Amino acid sequence: MEERWDAGRRLLFQNGVTYHAYADPQGVERPWPLDPIPLLLPHSEWLMIAEGLRQRARLLNRVLADLYGDQSILRDGVLPYGLVLGDPGFLRACHGMDLAAGARLTLVATDMVRDRTGIWRVLASRTQAPTGTGYTLENRVVMSQTLAESFRGCNVERLSPFFEQLRQTLISLAPRGSGPDGCPRLALLTPGPLNEAYFEHAFLARHLGLTLVEGADLTVRDQAVYLKTLGGLERIDVILRRVDDDFCDPLELRPDSALGVAGLVEAVRAGNVAVCNSLGSGLTDSVALMPWMGALSRHLLGEAPLLADVTTYWGGDPRQRAEMVAGLDRLVFRPAYSSMGHRTTFGPELDAAGRAALAASLRRRPQDWVAQEPVVPSTAPVWRDGRKVARPLVMRAFACATPDGDWMVMPGGLARISADERFASVTLQTGAGAKDVWIVGGAIGQPQRRRGLASLMPDGGGDSGPRAGDLPSRAADHLFWVGRYAERADAAVRTLRAAARRLSDDAHPGAEEELVPLLRLMGFNGMIPMEIAGLPQTDAVRGMRQALEIVADPANPGGLRATMDRLRRAAAGVRDRLPGEFSRVLTVLGEVASQPLKTDPAAMHLRLDEVSRLLASLIGLELDGMSRGPAWRFLVLGRRLERAIGIVGAFNGCGLGPGTAGTVASLSVLLELAAAGAAYRDRHPVGIRREPVLSLLLADDDHPRSLAFQIKTVQRQLVKLPPIDGEGLSVSPTLLANQLLETASRLVADPQPTRDPTALADLTDRLGRLLPEISNLLSQAYFSHAFARTT
Amino acid sequence: MPLPARREEDAVDGNERGAVRYQCRHVTRYGYGDPVTSAHMLAHLAPRDHPRQTCHKATLSIVPWPGVVTERHDWFGNPVTYAALHTPHRELTVTAEIEVTVAPPPPLLAETTPCWEEVAALAATLAETAEFVRPSARVPLADTALTLFAAAFFSQGRAIGEGALDLTRRIHADFSFDPTATTISTPISEVLARKRGVCQDFAHLMIGALRALGLPARYVSGYLRTLPPPGKPKLQGADASHAWVQAWCGPHDGWIDLDPTNGRQCDTDHVTLAWGRDYDDVCPLRGVILGGGHHGVLVAVDVDQLDGR
Repeated sequence: MEERWDAGRRLLFQNGVTYHAYADPQGVERPWPLDPIPLLLPHSEWLMIAEGLRQRARLLNRVLADLYGDQSILRDGVLPYGLVLGDPGFLRACHGMDLAAGARLTLVATDMVRDRTGIWRVLASRTQAPTGTGYTLENRVVMSQTLAESFRGCNVERLSPFFEQLRQTLISLAPRGSGPDGCPRLALLTPGPLNEAYFEHAFLARHLGLTLVEGADLTVRDQAVYLKTLGGLERIDVILRRVDDDFCDPLELRPDSALGVAGLVEAVRAGNVAVCNSLGSGLTDSVALMPWMGALSRHLLGEAPLLADVTTYWGGDPRQRAEMVAGLDRLVFRPAYSSMGHRTTFGPELDAAGRAALAASLRRRPQDWVAQEPVVPSTAPVWRDGRKVARPLVMRAFACATPDGDWMVMPGGLARISADERFASVTLQTGAGAKDVWIVGGAIGQPQRRRGLASLMPDGGGDSGPRAGDLPSRAADHLFWVGRYAERADAAVRTLRAAARRLSDDAHPGAEEELVPLLRLMGFNGMIPMEIAGLPQTDAVRGMRQALEIVADPANPGGLRATMDRLRRAAAGVRDRLPGEFSRVLTVLGEVASQPLKTDPAAMHLRLDEVSRLLASLIGLELDGMSRGPAWRFLVLGRRLERAIGIVGAFNGCGLGPGTAGTVASLSVLLELAAAGAAYRDRHPVGIRREPVLSLLLADDDHPRSLAFQIKTVQRQLVKLPPIDGEGLSVSPTLLANQLLETASRLVADPQPTRDPTALADLTDRLGRLLPEISNLLSQAYFSHAFARTT
Repeated sequence: MPLPARREEDAVDGNERGAVRYQCRHVTRYGYGDPVTSAHMLAHLAPRDHPRQTCHKATLSIVPWPGVVTERHDWFGNPVTYAALHTPHRELTVTAEIEVTVAPPPPLLAETTPCWEEVAALAATLAETAEFVRPSARVPLADTALTLFAAAFFSQGRAIGEGALDLTRRIHADFSFDPTATTISTPISEVLARKRGVCQDFAHLMIGALRALGLPARYVSGYLRTLPPPGKPKLQGADASHAWVQAWCGPHDGWIDLDPTNGRQCDTDHVTLAWGRDYDDVCPLRGVILGGGHHGVLVAVDVDQLDGR
């Protein structure tokens, strides 16, 4: 078991399944803790649960439609006015919107707990922007691979039809088809990479074929929503949103939100875009509604509820409040309204002072509290430290609207393990792990459809490159910096390897002498302090040992790990635009770089080799794993510009300017860093000479690490991007960039600097200013996605 | 911000005893350092339905003229205009012009209003009042200082009308009108501690105090007729947006307009535009722009009485 599970954990780790814990001051991603033992539910039991879940989803949909419409359930006294009008989640700006039934709620999650008698009881509903479908799918992919035999043997119900349904429903909600061939254009709106569930957003977007966007990528024109792409504005028809209700529009909802789109509410009101779940749907998340579920079901559906609820009291009702006051030491207290968070207070755990404080708060603002009867949960086996232990679970089940007004329940779900043995209460932040839920024993004898799971794989092996939808400016910006940071990391590793090799291999001729230009280069690049960088040859060995310790220190902001972190952060924002393998390599790279490098030169050399191989595989994926679309172009532009800037820096750093003789040592180091040693020796067997070395590194456009090669590549990619005329600017930034490249290309072709140190210094000085300017012009042309602000 | 108006005999409108007809002009001019490429606006600049007020005319003009303008009524029944502009501009002018007749309120017999405890008990459950006893964005749950401040006006069994009027007068008497003391984001607790602010601050403070005791209170946005110093002509644009409070005084008396900035019940000097839970619900002009760089805004309001004066 343990051995097989190692494989599962590795799979999850490499797939980069993570969630952020907001409580963590460093905001680090934590790996998703999947338990190797699935929760098995018999098909017959599941049928009853699923029927109840469908009813619940139908009911919540009706409740929302009523409360955002004519409010008959308030007028008829089914629900108290104070409960709804006092809920901060009731968005007045969204009242009176005329929405299609399926657009009110598209996806509903229900948290359930199984009591000692085996009855599943509803703990809470999630109707605003339910999380978990993506994690469920990823769990299933991993489980079905690591427990392949059991999975087949158990005849587990497949998840793929549910996701296909979700996609079909989203398409059906489109007010029109704005995409190619009249298909609707769909987007997933995420708060961004800092959100705890960003992994899931990227995963779902990729899986469902939605364009992953942030608020700043969208704009509202003529009461319709458009995506800002490199090629101009593209209309969006349906938005699956993961941004909370009140953050979705700074104009009509929270004015301080930077995550939303100004005018979105108006666009929905005008019927030009469908937002799923509808704006304001956080209202039915509020636990305060639960005591009325039975009454609502009978009133709106004419049906008795099929699912049992955990008994709940709302403090705004005098009779229920009396129960709460009497049960202070017994009940589980939670905020009444979803927008107040989900912090739980367990009555039995309170000391006298805590109980008094709770009672005071209950007296002062009773409407803000609910209390639930504690459920004595049944437990399930969980794998902990190599053995089975019993833990309570909370199961999250999902239902998806269908275009004909019915609901489809996902045959499976996300079972989360309670950290506490006594209570069943979890959140993504505090939960102690998750289980896949297998519905077994149904559809016996039916042939499993072959495509089932294969179509669920996020990226079947090689993967695809760009997907449907156009490249948002923000994504282009991130990709450009992924290219730059990946190359920066590569250059740093090359330098470190060159240094480590010279320390560990005494037989290398000229080793000590060559440490001098390497030290200077490291100082020039800001990797080490200048007083170490400037040490003479007699002290070079000691200096380099010290230098390697500094660079290897994971806490050093100029060190290797910091560069890897920047690379990972840039890539996190465009996870859906890069091959799946790219993220996996980055995850491993991050892991390797966060372990302190051994300062023993030989061990360090081995570790650097590993990092270098991983970085090289990123280049391989760039070359072979991505289509030549705009996403790829920006990645390449970033890498090539960074490399060009790095080469110019190496000339300066190694000391080939006037007054420095242009020593053989410096030239050898430059050749090694440019991986040009072999190419040079083939052509010039007589030895290292200044003129041919410099000519190779500057002007040889057949060598992939020469300056001429970088400039040519940038020129070639730049002309393929849409030109920008620069609204409000006197000169087009793309035109200017092309002119600068032309100048750079002329400069490196000039043979004079290969002979004359003064001319070389002049060249590196000019290029040192010109190349970063090209990077700035690209930013100005393509990435200047200004953020909206309120006035 | 308006200077407190001095009382004068109301002119008599032709139709109703004591009613006054006004023409109001509200100009907002934005200037930007860089071009603004996109602007979305939400305006509460037309007068709402009101039992004491008749609207004869309401126009809104925006220059440059936006491509999209829609009008609707918000949740509270206030007219609201959405406008969007996507041509680059460095200047934007929004001009609202309205004509209304304001009738005086029936006299409030404060001592005959129900006791405040009764009002609080009723208010939490009624459709008309339930949302106005709860905290809102600009009037969060009262802290101890505010609750103590409020409690001083509402001794046990006191009539709601008396307590509310007392509170209105005391804010006027004890607080200084000081436009330099606060910004729109100054919290109520600071206004209470420093005892200075402008009409919005005093309105929010009074709303917070009433709600601290479970009493329903609304924020009203509008204009105030001001009078020039004796012997001087009235200056153009000297008026300003004003804000005051409505306190609910039981089912019989309903919502009573009280102006804590001027320490009295509202009368025909007050022109009502919109009401809501607080400023955020009824902000006269809210915008979200792209670009613009540094920006400045100038607001000019004129409230002129028609029919002779």
